[in-house]
Amino acid sequence: MLLKIEDLHVEVGDRLLLKGIDLEIGEGETHILFGPNGSGKSSLVMAIIGHPGYKVIDGRIIFKGIDITEKPTAERVKLGIGVVFQNPPKIYGIRLRELINRISGKRERGDDILKLLDRLNITENLLNRHVNVGFSGGEIKRCEIAQALAMNSDFLILDEPDSGVDVENLELIGRELSKVLEKKSALIITHHGYILRYLKPTKAHVMIQGTIICHGDPDQILNQIMREGYRWCEKCRLMRRS
Amino acid sequence: MQVDEEKLRKALSKPAAYGPDLDLSQYSMEAVEQPKVDEEIIERSFEVGVDLRKRGALTTFLQIDHGALYKSVQKQFEGDVELLTIEEAVRKYDWVKELMWKLRSPYEDKYTAFNALHGAGGYFLRILEDRKIHMPIQACFLMFSPGAIQSVHNIIVAEPGSEAQILTGCTSHPKVSRGLHVGITEIYVRSGARLNYTMIHKWNPGFDVRPRTGILVEDAATIIHNYIAIGYVRSFQSQPTARLVGGNSKITMNNVVYLQGSSEMDLGGEVLIEGKGDKAEIITNAVAAERAKIINRGKISCEGEGGKGHISCRGLMLSDSAEISAIPCLVSRRMDSELTHEAAIGRIAEDQLFYLMARGIPREEAESLIVRGFLDLSPMNLPEHLEQGIRRIIDMALQGF
Repeated sequence: MLLKIEDLHVEVGDRLLLKGIDLEIGEGETHILFGPNGSGKSSLVMAIIGHPGYKVIDGRIIFKGIDITEKPTAERVKLGIGVVFQNPPKIYGIRLRELINRISGKRERGDDILKLLDRLNITENLLNRHVNVGFSGGEIKRCEIAQALAMNSDFLILDEPDSGVDVENLELIGRELSKVLEKKSALIITHHGYILRYLKPTKAHVMIQGTIICHGDPDQILNQIMREGYRWCEKCRLMRRS
Repeated sequence: MQVDEEKLRKALSKPAAYGPDLDLSQYSMEAVEQPKVDEEIIERSFEVGVDLRKRGALTTFLQIDHGALYKSVQKQFEGDVELLTIEEAVRKYDWVKELMWKLRSPYEDKYTAFNALHGAGGYFLRILEDRKIHMPIQACFLMFSPGAIQSVHNIIVAEPGSEAQILTGCTSHPKVSRGLHVGITEIYVRSGARLNYTMIHKWNPGFDVRPRTGILVEDAATIIHNYIAIGYVRSFQSQPTARLVGGNSKITMNNVVYLQGSSEMDLGGEVLIEGKGDKAEIITNAVAAERAKIINRGKISCEGEGGKGHISCRGLMLSDSAEISAIPCLVSRRMDSELTHEAAIGRIAEDQLFYLMARGIPREEAESLIVRGFLDLSPMNLPEHLEQGIRRIIDMALQGF
């Protein structure tokens, strides 16, 4: 098993946001995490990558057989976890080129990185700009994905790679991800499921109020959510409880 | 301009409007024998951006203490650029005296008065009409005698339609622990001229520094005025002032400062917009480490039709013992003026730090990357080799941070 999350409870401040998450993702698998706004999807991302503001009060996160629950973020990244953030901060004074060179571990960009940037339509102009400063929605997503791929992580967590992105950008991102995910593992958070047009995920999960309430076939779950909204999941959760 | 000696003597006891007051009797005009340009001096000048190894190739001026030690004009620009000591220029042209003390008053404070009475050295630099000098012109002022006042007066004239990049580096010899540097610089940017003027400072921790810069910008002329200080100073106070007198003229003042130790700096910038459609911008990014104290003032006044001005004061605190003040000031006397400012002081943002760590960069390196990024040189429009050189200076100062 690549990633194994056991009974994970996470607090931010005094608020309990994740209430006993169990999740297993195997090598080469792509999992989808659905859930309404505020259900705790992004909190799970932050807990896996080790944001200091997200405190694990119970449970464990095991990656490649190593308990990473207490490990600093940079170490988790070194082990092979890469995140595509939903709302990355603006970093004034650091150019995208500089950051990509640094995280790809190459002084001079290698051929593969050049090709990657080309496929994601990341222009010289964009590379010369300060990271995320004045970027459009599509540019942010493309640059986030480029960074995650430049790190060459084995496991990618993509938080809403399809939100705030126009059709052309969605297609570009979808095509690139479908190719990359043939060889890697991923956890993809999506609200609308647009990205599923390009991917063939292994399994989907639905998160409601800090717990994962069901697992199943991604297309089936998406169709159900599209038809009835998350109210259906809510009903389902209540039925299971009783 | 004719100066009134009696009035000057009175002004000798007048403190500056800002900054700690200094007792001038604590410094001397005595100088030890001038040193040879050795490796140590070459190395130190290089740290303020002046490459003395290329002094034979680039237009270069070097003054140590009170007298010019070296000056030369790059061969291909002979007849385009005139470089004289200020004393030579006053002897050669009657009108040079008229340009002196026109943009700064000699009676302003004790430092200007001292300079008008006892100043020694400085350069006169003139870019002739329509000449474009695409190689940097470099000047270095180095202080070598212990406890001395170096008090220089520079005049720069960018004649109509000319273009140039001027770099002035001011520094102290590594072995000297105390001294006072007073630099009067009056810059005339004539119609349609474009000037990039960069001043870089590096001082030993016991040095006091009081530059006084005045700038006049005529019709459709542009000046980028950059100031960079990295490291230490005992006290520094300066408020460069500019008047935009023509129409469609433009000034950008960029300040990048990283101070450590017990350094104290009061750095300002003052622009008066008088012409139609003039634009002024004052951008300061200041980092205070250890016990450094930085006051960051900016003032733009607008009297010209449709004038635009913007002040940005950003401060980054690296220690709880440091202090940064931001005091932007806007004055409008026109309904159609557009004046704005932004000021922000804070520590390194946690979300930025986390983001870089999530890219696999360890915390200490991420912090140092953000500080380096904060000291952004790109608005200064420097030649590439100079920007890289200054980056190296910043990297050296940030080592061990």
